Parts: sequence; structure tokens; C-alpha cells
Amino acid sequence: MNTLIAIGAGIAVLGALGAGIGIGIATGKAAEAIARQPEAEGKINKTLILGCALAEATAIYGFVIALMVIVMLK
Amino acid sequence: MEDLAKNLMEELECETVFTIPVFGGIDISESVVVTWIIMAVLILAAILLTRNMKIDHISRRQAVAELIVTKLTGMVEGMIGPEGKTYVPYLTTVLLYIGVSNIIGLFGFKSPTKDLTVTIALAVMSIVLVEAAGIYHLGVKKWLHKFVEPVAIVTPINILEVFTRPLSLCMRLFGNVLGAFVIMELIKMVVPFGVPAVFSMYFDIFDGLLQAYVFVFLTSLYINEAIE
Repeated sequence: MNTLIAIGAGIAVLGALGAGIGIGIATGKAAEAIARQPEAEGKINKTLILGCALAEATAIYGFVIALMVIVMLK
Repeated sequence: MEDLAKNLMEELECETVFTIPVFGGIDISESVVVTWIIMAVLILAAILLTRNMKIDHISRRQAVAELIVTKLTGMVEGMIGPEGKTYVPYLTTVLLYIGVSNIIGLFGFKSPTKDLTVTIALAVMSIVLVEAAGIYHLGVKKWLHKFVEPVAIVTPINILEVFTRPLSLCMRLFGNVLGAFVIMELIKMVVPFGVPAVFSMYFDIFDGLLQAYVFVFLTSLYINEAIE
């Protein structure tokens, strides 16, 4: 049973994959944007941080669910 | 490893500090007490900073107070736009409260935002404010009509949004604070000193303040959308 719980929690954390891809794309685009328009760096940075925080949410959901799987099923 | 699991369980559960003996006993949990401490600190800071203000020849203390107020309200106003000026004080208060409660873990207190009930309360307050602002600015008829926009077929999704928005708001805040805490505990277990301080800069201070900002930004975005 413990092994299954551990596997389930591990699968739940796979949601972090989406956050990683999302933040990677966002950062790449932000770098491009800054290269094109260096004077808009402040605005771009603000938007980037906000977007990263939002994209991170999926990873957080995965983490919360993994924790719940461990805590509730134990 | 057993220690860590026990420690985590202890942190997840919010124990009752004391019970008020009315109506069959009201439980006061730890997060409420820490919230009182935060309130006391913020109120004290506000009173100390705003004592005997002047119009000219301002003191350094007043300059600091003016800087804080103009910066914070300016930031929130930039997010919500000129139409939502009425909601700036509330949003600034929420920003201050979440920001302080996220970094209060550094001083040995248990962050109230690590308690799910606190974040649920904050999210419910936000969504009530959003819907109330919609009704206040547009009237009941137009507010109801917003549910069938842009086409009638998306009505179920629009109604669902009223519930998913606060859910994602509260889960995001709770998960981030709890996640930062768990990662910090793991790092402390591997390297007992030195390294955790560096990571704490990111996880406790930067991430905590960022989450406060995101919470307020999303609330103001929703309000902005509801009143236009």
C-alpha cells in the first residue's frame, strides 16, 4: 500500500512538467522581447514575473494533491 | 524521515490555542492569534508613522509614511485602473496583510496563510467583493446579462467561474506558502546551516511577497472585468 501511495504522489507531481514548460517559453519570449525593445525592460519583467507566478500554480496544485494523497491515505 | 513526516503533519494541523467559553465554546486557532499579532503590528506601525503630520517642513518619519502610501496605492491603482479607485484601500490592506503574514514565518511564528481556512476566507472575501462591485456598478440586470456574454452557450462556464476563481486563488496562496515551507524543511535537513539562509531569501521573502502581489493583482483583474 505504501508503495502505491508513493507512486500516486509521484504521478501527481508530474503536473510540474507543465509549469516548467510554461515558464521556459515565457522566459524565452521575454528575452526576445527585451532584445528587441530594451527600453521596455521594466514592463516586460513585471509581466514575466506575473506570468511565471500564474504558470507555477499548476505545479503547486500538483504538489498540494501529492501532499493530500500522502496525508489522507496514510 | 519519520521525524519529518511527523513534523509536517504537525504543521498542517492548526491547533487550538484556547477556547472562548460562550455559545458552547468558540475555538481560537493559532492562525487567528498570529493574525491578531499582525494586526497589532500593522496598526502600531500606522499610528507611529502618522502621528502629528504637517503640511510643510515634514519630518523624516512622515516622508517614509508618504512614500509607503503613495507607492502602494499607486501600484494597486495601476493594476485596477481609474474606475476601480474605490477598491484601492481594501486591496492595499489585503496586500499588506498577506505580505506580512507570508514573511512572519521568519520570526518564528506560524504563517496564517499556511492555514487553509485563512486563504479560503480571503478568497471568499475577494469573490464577494468582485460580484458586489459588478452589481453596484452595472445594476442587477446588466450583471445577470454578463453571464450570457459573449454567447449563451458559455453560461455554465461563466457560472462555474464564480466558484473556480476563489478556489484557484486560495489554493495558489496556500500551496505556495506550504510548498516553500516544506522545501525549506527539506533543505534544513540536508544542510543544517548557511545554505538555508540563501534559499530562505527566495522562498520566504521573494515568493511570499510575490504571492501577495499575485493575489491582489488577480482580484483587481476580476474587479476590473466585472465593472466594465
